[in-house]
Amino acid sequence: MTAQLSVNANQVEKDYRANSLWRMTLRRIGKQRNAIIGMVILGILLLVAILAPVLAPYDPIEVLIGVEDVGKREAPCIHLLGCPADQPQHIMGTDGNVRDVFSRVIYGTRYSLFLGFTAIGIAIGVGAVLGAISGYYGGWLDMIIMRILDVLMAFPSLLLAIAIVSVLGPGLSNALVAIGIVSIPVYARVVRASVLTVKEQEYVKASKALGGSHMHILIDRILPNSVPPLIVRGTLGIGTAILDAAALSFLGLGAQPPMPEWGTMLGSERNQVFSAPHLVFYPGIAIMITVLAFNLIGDGLRDAIDPRLSNT
Amino acid sequence: MKKSFYLVLSLLVLASMALASCAPPAAQAPVTTDLKEEEFTGLAIAAPDCEYGGMIKEIKAVDEFTVQFTFCAPDPAFPSKAAFTAFSIQPKEWIKAAMESREILEKPIGTGPYYIESWNRGDSIVFKRFDDYWGEKAITDTLVFRWSTEGAARKLELESATVDGIDNPSPDDFEALRANPDVALYDREAMNIFYLGFTNTFEPFDDVNVRKAISMGIDRQRLVDNFYPAGSSVASHFTPCSVANGCVGDEWYEFDPVAAKAMLAEAGFPDGFTTKIYFRDVFRSYLPEPSLVATDVQAQLKENLNIDAEIVVMESGAFIEESSAGRLDGLYLLGWNADYPHITNFLDYHFTNTNPQFGTPFPEIYEKLAAAAQIADPAEAESLYVEANNAIKELVPMIPVAHGGSATAFRADVEGAHASPLGNEYMAVMKPGDRTTFVWMQNAEPISVYCNDETDGESLRACEQVIESLLSYEVGGTDVQPGLATACEPNDDLTVWTCKLREGVKFHNGFTLDADDVVTSWGVAWDAANPLHIGNTGAFEYFTYLWGGLLNAAPAE
Repeated sequence: MTAQLSVNANQVEKDYRANSLWRMTLRRIGKQRNAIIGMVILGILLLVAILAPVLAPYDPIEVLIGVEDVGKREAPCIHLLGCPADQPQHIMGTDGNVRDVFSRVIYGTRYSLFLGFTAIGIAIGVGAVLGAISGYYGGWLDMIIMRILDVLMAFPSLLLAIAIVSVLGPGLSNALVAIGIVSIPVYARVVRASVLTVKEQEYVKASKALGGSHMHILIDRILPNSVPPLIVRGTLGIGTAILDAAALSFLGLGAQPPMPEWGTMLGSERNQVFSAPHLVFYPGIAIMITVLAFNLIGDGLRDAIDPRLSNT
Repeated sequence: MKKSFYLVLSLLVLASMALASCAPPAAQAPVTTDLKEEEFTGLAIAAPDCEYGGMIKEIKAVDEFTVQFTFCAPDPAFPSKAAFTAFSIQPKEWIKAAMESREILEKPIGTGPYYIESWNRGDSIVFKRFDDYWGEKAITDTLVFRWSTEGAARKLELESATVDGIDNPSPDDFEALRANPDVALYDREAMNIFYLGFTNTFEPFDDVNVRKAISMGIDRQRLVDNFYPAGSSVASHFTPCSVANGCVGDEWYEFDPVAAKAMLAEAGFPDGFTTKIYFRDVFRSYLPEPSLVATDVQAQLKENLNIDAEIVVMESGAFIEESSAGRLDGLYLLGWNADYPHITNFLDYHFTNTNPQFGTPFPEIYEKLAAAAQIADPAEAESLYVEANNAIKELVPMIPVAHGGSATAFRADVEGAHASPLGNEYMAVMKPGDRTTFVWMQNAEPISVYCNDETDGESLRACEQVIESLLSYEVGGTDVQPGLATACEPNDDLTVWTCKLREGVKFHNGFTLDADDVVTSWGVAWDAANPLHIGNTGAFEYFTYLWGGLLNAAPAE
């Protein structure tokens, strides 16, 4: 009898684990081809970022004038495709300052991924705290926090980011902070919404009745529920953040020369679209692939987690 | 009945056509105004004293064909300035009639080889040959000015032969244009200077050895080779060599990174320092690729001197304001285009004792310049300019980098095509194959063609086809030649210049040039209290800048 019971308990435990949100999500996401593709691309990008010094044939900020016999804005030269072997190989050509574009694009992966993750990290960190506080305590505190965030949300995000950067001064770190601040309201809202739905549930009340502190209830009982939507939102948000960062850099407000940031690369050679298209083509493609990867993963995650779409 | 009617009608038409073709060409002037020509009265405008700040004391019509300019101080550069289009002459009657209505902005009455037939705003200006021109008449009957801001668009129009000549093809297109047998490229001599400035009131640029070290630690040849079109050169001196006395004295420092590093270490910065590089992202013929040059200077500073420089792009207006007031605490990329081909236009402007642009001015330089400016004969002034140039090299208020070349391009069959160092290409001498119309395409539409109150090169070029000054620049060059005056002679101490006007010069409306026209043309610009001191903006900037100030100018705020 006891054995039976314990078996049953084990079974329940197993079933519970098998059906936990994470398991379910992972199982569902495994069935989504788009998400898999996105994750593969992201994995490759992460590898490229980590292995940049190994992969890049040149120092990304090294000016090759006098170092090699190569001119500025030269078209790609690939030995395998018939470029004479006595010419130095530049897979994506050279830019206006005679630097190797391929190396710059590779190093650019670091900046873009770092920017995307950090900016959204800041946004989620601040947004989650604000959303949790305002959802849990409610009342005038909720009122004040949410109205301020509404005001933030009323601005077009890029415009607000430009305004913040103009105040802080141009630079990569300031651009990062600006994009982070601009993204806060979205995450605050997501967290607040899930806190509101959960906080009247029986198990929360039970925790309260057992004398759990506010912190304990909020962090251990309520907030875990908002993690899945945050992850979905965040993944999609990273794509947008990378785009915004590229836009800021394009305008000269983000990464400063000679940093090999994709947006900066686009911006500095924008007038050469016709005479040297490779200078804008490759950084542009790099931005596109990165954002695409995050969007694919984000969509996949949402389909996997969102119960309204996952009734099959 | 019907038949005879048509017969008569057709005969009448034929007869009238014959009459029309036989009629003698109209003798009247191409530009008609309902003005009456006034008699010569001998006008004169004088400043009460020399306290008002400007250089001119009096402008006086001595007789019908003599004008006398009296100055508060000797002015050896008078001929160079008087040849400038901003001091062109129009009939006094027309100035009085058309200034207030602002008609003069679009319909100048000049003495030039062309007159303006029509100006289709936003599209083109059509010029016609003036048959009563006093000098050599224009070769082509019709001249058309068009414009496009895009270098690629101008090149395309030239290649498809819809225009005969274009200004400023993009440096990137030079090779393609040279390779095209239907097109000829004309390099424009570089009458400009690009320099790296710093302000000596900020650390560490207050130390002359730091400035010198940077000067030797930057490979200027590399900048010119990589970021400037053909026809550009490394600056051996601040002033280009084509200007008299421009490059007398020692040449600038050779690139020597080892010595530079040692000098910087001696000055107390063995590990370099951090600073900023300021620039504006604006195309200028002295700096065609601002951001690339800034990035390369940054890389060179790091590599040769271990100086960490942050690049700061500024808005154009703010950049000019901050740099000319000497408020930038780092290096800055700036340059200068010649207004008139005289050394004072380069050196005196930048290094006088009132210009705070490079920080505290150096008496070793400005005292020499002030002395040299009083001497008319370049040969006599040479020794002073040698000393001034050597002092500039010794004190390094800035680093002269390059004289940037630009170009014009024409269809290969255009005879007389040229590129002028001052940007005033003269279309009257050009013959576009067997075509009867010459079409020129420049960067932008003229703002107005009353050039006494314009500063923009696109406007000045249009004016130069139509209106003329007392003296003129040689076609495609910078030498000063007679213009409406056959000669301008100074007195012994260069304070009085007397100009003898050419007799019998006709304006486009048939009026005859006399000394009163000159006094009126100059007077309305000089005297701010004159009711006709209107112009386009009313600033008369070149007059203010080249002659020290306006008479009766409103006090500065």
